[in-house]
Amino acid sequence: MDPIVTVAGLTKRYRLGKDNYVDALRGASLEIARGEMVAIMGPSGSGKSTLMHIAGCLDRPDSGEVHLNGRRVDQLRGRALTTVRGREVGFIFQGFNLIPTMTALENVALAAEYAGASRRDAADKARSLLELVGLADRMRHAPTELSGGQQQRVAIARALVNDPAIVMGDEPTGDLDTATSAEIVGVMREINTERGTTFVLVTHNPEVAEVCDRTIHMRDGIVEAVTA
Amino acid sequence: MRILRDIFRRRLRSSLTIFGIAIGVFALVMLGSVAESMNRMVEGGTEYYAEKVMVSDDSGAGSMSVTPMSLSMIERIEEVEGVSRASASLSVLLDDLGAVQMGMPALIIGSDLRDRGFETFPLTLAEGRDLEPGDRRAAVVGADLVTRLEAEVGGEVELRGETFEVVGILGKTLTTPDSTVYVPLADAQDLFAEQLTAPVREALDIRDVATGLVVFHAEDVDSDELAARIEAEVADVRAVGPGAFEEQIGSMMGIFNSVIFGVGMIALVVGGLSVVNTMTMSVAERTREIGVRKAVGGSDGAIMRRFLGESALISTLGGGAGLALGALAIGALDAPGSAMAGTFLLSARLAAGSLAFAVALGVLAGAWPAWHAARLNPVEALRYE
Repeated sequence: MDPIVTVAGLTKRYRLGKDNYVDALRGASLEIARGEMVAIMGPSGSGKSTLMHIAGCLDRPDSGEVHLNGRRVDQLRGRALTTVRGREVGFIFQGFNLIPTMTALENVALAAEYAGASRRDAADKARSLLELVGLADRMRHAPTELSGGQQQRVAIARALVNDPAIVMGDEPTGDLDTATSAEIVGVMREINTERGTTFVLVTHNPEVAEVCDRTIHMRDGIVEAVTA
Repeated sequence: MRILRDIFRRRLRSSLTIFGIAIGVFALVMLGSVAESMNRMVEGGTEYYAEKVMVSDDSGAGSMSVTPMSLSMIERIEEVEGVSRASASLSVLLDDLGAVQMGMPALIIGSDLRDRGFETFPLTLAEGRDLEPGDRRAAVVGADLVTRLEAEVGGEVELRGETFEVVGILGKTLTTPDSTVYVPLADAQDLFAEQLTAPVREALDIRDVATGLVVFHAEDVDSDELAARIEAEVADVRAVGPGAFEEQIGSMMGIFNSVIFGVGMIALVVGGLSVVNTMTMSVAERTREIGVRKAVGGSDGAIMRRFLGESALISTLGGGAGLALGALAIGALDAPGSAMAGTFLLSARLAAGSLAFAVALGVLAGAWPAWHAARLNPVEALRYE
């Protein structure tokens, strides 16, 4: 197997106050193969979001190793971490997290501009990705003028705009109804199949997990089991 | 464009902040232009007095009172080495004291027309001609008084109740001559006589009276040294050279300038604090957005630049508005004929300085909130509700 993400022995402790802390990760290890679509499930507080954030270079572990797309990233800081995050990882969130003052097109283009694309190139890329997710006629709309499903499609387009090796979703269907949820997972599966983009989805929803190739079960900060 | 949209997403707050900066810049521009006008007047005054010594009577009371002196003094002054000519001058206030007056009071100055050629300060006539020996009841009107006196060449003006023919109108000098009406010495003596009580008037030979002498000198003579020599050699006179003028006025202007600019700066700094407040609020409100920007690859630098750009734009808009408002107000207040004409001078350096200061203040005020935004941990920022 050609791993795109390998994490080994990750620990992460969040300090909430003096003598008050949470061990979010207590030595979590796992491997995700290139081109896979994987679900991470587990109860609240089991460390699944933290694991995803660290693997996606949004956060740094206290100890342990992270390899992303053939490169060790757990030691990276500052600018280097931002660059890896911007170019190799795409994020999708539960609350869509689109910037409210920008149109759909601008939201998608922003990520490309941050990665160094010119305004024109960024807009071109954004346009083709919005077409891909079926929003060709909604590009000039503000997020508030779009339905939840449409907003999440914009977020998917934004996650894909820099051709990342991997897209990470933090409860991407958490705010959607069942039908829309299935629709969004369908879009992701299609992109996964057609473009070979790896997807890692943190979810509570068994129907999302069902569509994925594997499901990683977490509990108390470690990977408890992996099911196919 | 996007930055503008972000600023006006919080329309009321941003508008108030812009307004605050605008008021600060407006205050700085208004107060500063009063200072600039005074400075210009003093500079002009320095030039005006540079090559002459002003002699006045010192036998009487305080130095500020106008004590008449005899024209016989001319001969005694002209005996002093280095003096080429002492010319009688008599000034009378155009208005009685008590009238609302900013800057220098308007004067009627009578001078001995035979000595016109000794003047080194370049006075240009906008219209008409200069006074000539033999003129009587003739006046040359300073630029700032034209509208007030409704003066036109060939027409008549009333000076302290007497009618004079306007023969010329002076070009603007931005100093003393602007608020002066020049008349022949004899006419000024007549106006002066009317102010005296009857017994005093009868005791005086009014044709022998001046309020001061303007002393002109040879080219290689230093005005201040000459003033000292005159005081040493002639009793009961006060001789003032350009040095004394600069010394007195210079230190006064120093204090005046610091007070005025100090007040203006305070106004602007208060505006600057409101920028800090607005930007801090903006960062707090958009914590989640900052998290998103970081998650999609926005670097610390990009986020810092964004917020700095917003505060710079707010203060530039405010500064521009304040400057425009100030220019309009000055244009209206300084209109010819207005009682405040000549009070304001919106110089290029003042305009550029105020705007630059406002922008710099905005960037400075935005620096901490922007830095704070850039340093946010993306995971925590994304969780922020």
